[in-house]
Amino acid sequence: MHHFNRRNFLKSAGAIAAFAAIPRAVSAAVTSPRVVVVGGGFGGATLAKYLRMWGGNVQVTLVDPNPTHISCILSNLVVTGAMSMSRITLAYDSLKTRHGVSVLQGKALSIDPAGNRLTVETGTGNQVLDYDHLVLSPGIDFTPAPGNWNPNLTPHAWQAGAQTTLLKSQLAAMRANDTFVLTVPKSPYRCPPGPYERACLIADYLRVKGRTGAKVIVLDANASIQAEPEAFTRAFTVTHAGRIQYVPNANVLSVDSATRSISTSAMNISNAKVLNYIPNQRAGAIAASLGVNLLGFVAVNPLSYATLAHPNIHVIGDSCAVPASDGKAVPKSGHMANAQAKVCADAILRTLSGEVLDQNVATNSACYSPITARTASWLSANFIYGDIYDGNGAVKGKGMHRVDLGEAPSSGVDGDSYQDMLTWADSFFSDSFK
Amino acid sequence: MNPSKSCLRILMVGIPLALASLAVSAQTPPPGRLLASQCSQCHGTNGSGPGFDEIAGKSANEIYHELQEMKARPVEGIMDRQARGYTDAQMRLIADYLSTQPGNGGD
Repeated sequence: MHHFNRRNFLKSAGAIAAFAAIPRAVSAAVTSPRVVVVGGGFGGATLAKYLRMWGGNVQVTLVDPNPTHISCILSNLVVTGAMSMSRITLAYDSLKTRHGVSVLQGKALSIDPAGNRLTVETGTGNQVLDYDHLVLSPGIDFTPAPGNWNPNLTPHAWQAGAQTTLLKSQLAAMRANDTFVLTVPKSPYRCPPGPYERACLIADYLRVKGRTGAKVIVLDANASIQAEPEAFTRAFTVTHAGRIQYVPNANVLSVDSATRSISTSAMNISNAKVLNYIPNQRAGAIAASLGVNLLGFVAVNPLSYATLAHPNIHVIGDSCAVPASDGKAVPKSGHMANAQAKVCADAILRTLSGEVLDQNVATNSACYSPITARTASWLSANFIYGDIYDGNGAVKGKGMHRVDLGEAPSSGVDGDSYQDMLTWADSFFSDSFK
Repeated sequence: MNPSKSCLRILMVGIPLALASLAVSAQTPPPGRLLASQCSQCHGTNGSGPGFDEIAGKSANEIYHELQEMKARPVEGIMDRQARGYTDAQMRLIADYLSTQPGNGGD
């Protein structure tokens, strides 16, 4: 029989005190969930920030090959010299110091889905990161046409940084009667209005610099302008009339970077002064390693951005394929990547705390496109989770249905919108990185 | 062998293991937080800037009625389009959540 006496009580009390101390230590060391995020662009940075802001004790590690992120958004203004590179260079400092995100500079090499491990190549050798959830936001990779493509000779400048600087120097070397050839990739590609915006800004630059007879030829792999058709049609035919030649249905057949020559199904051009060939696109390699759809992107659940095969591996941003109604695809844009990151962060936190996913989900993309060095247009698209439809209007499943789409009315393509663009960028950069 | 001691030993081994399963310290997300976060790209995190008009720290009714007005009028600015992207029930959730956010006292 057990005799409860003072001595036993003290021993028990001591044991209970020790016991009480253990779970706290263990919970700090072991139970705090680990999320690894690959890619520090708008998607990955937003995901890391919002997980920490909303998620209490979640440990977040952000992996990116570069020490800072250079934004594609506004980068066409760096090409024309209207804006400095520093203005679009976004640091990870706030994510680290204000939000407690660990940032690891390195390249994600491979995923072990069964072991929940990611291998990262760093400057000091390979590191293996264990995760409870892995989020991939690696952006795009290119699928260039046959031939001899060398982006160091013919820049795409569709990933900002050194490519932006190279295109800027090639543009600066243009003289009267020179030709700037720009290709629009087959949809879907990153930033639907981006190539048309660039064509406008290059044409405007050539006009302002007095490069008489110099022009921009836009070779579009698609049958028509893919975003803001009213604004860009007017820009091509009125604002920049005579300086932009728009050629639809120009599928790229081959490229030779050394001679800046390109062959397409609509037109062949040899020895352009500048060949700004932007190849067709697919999911970034680390995301593509999980398997891609027919268009080269990774199918995801629109409520969590989880891949269909691995519920704890998520893909957001340009690499993912969101189920949507036919003809109403979710655009690949930094703004949309930020929107998806928030849905993904909320879903991960709900999953970790054993709750069901929120189905009242909306995403949007809103952006401004400069038309000249002083004026801009805008584009707005909204998506709500629910039924999605095929081309005949029949329900084909659940996904993100586009409930609204529109561009600035012609009266709104003006200097006010250009100023709004700068306000938007400040806010958007801050919401993602600060 | 003292039965209560062995009980305690089992507890000491068992409970920490149970606690080692994943847990987040965050509470259930407040209604409207995720929807309202989609305003932050242009109005700042939690609606308190930097960016366009500060939307935090206003009354829920004021936010809701502004959104309704933008949804109903002819499209001029970008918010007239964005407002068309939400149901009335979603607008109510967004307005209720933003009204709980402190803001910086800006416009």
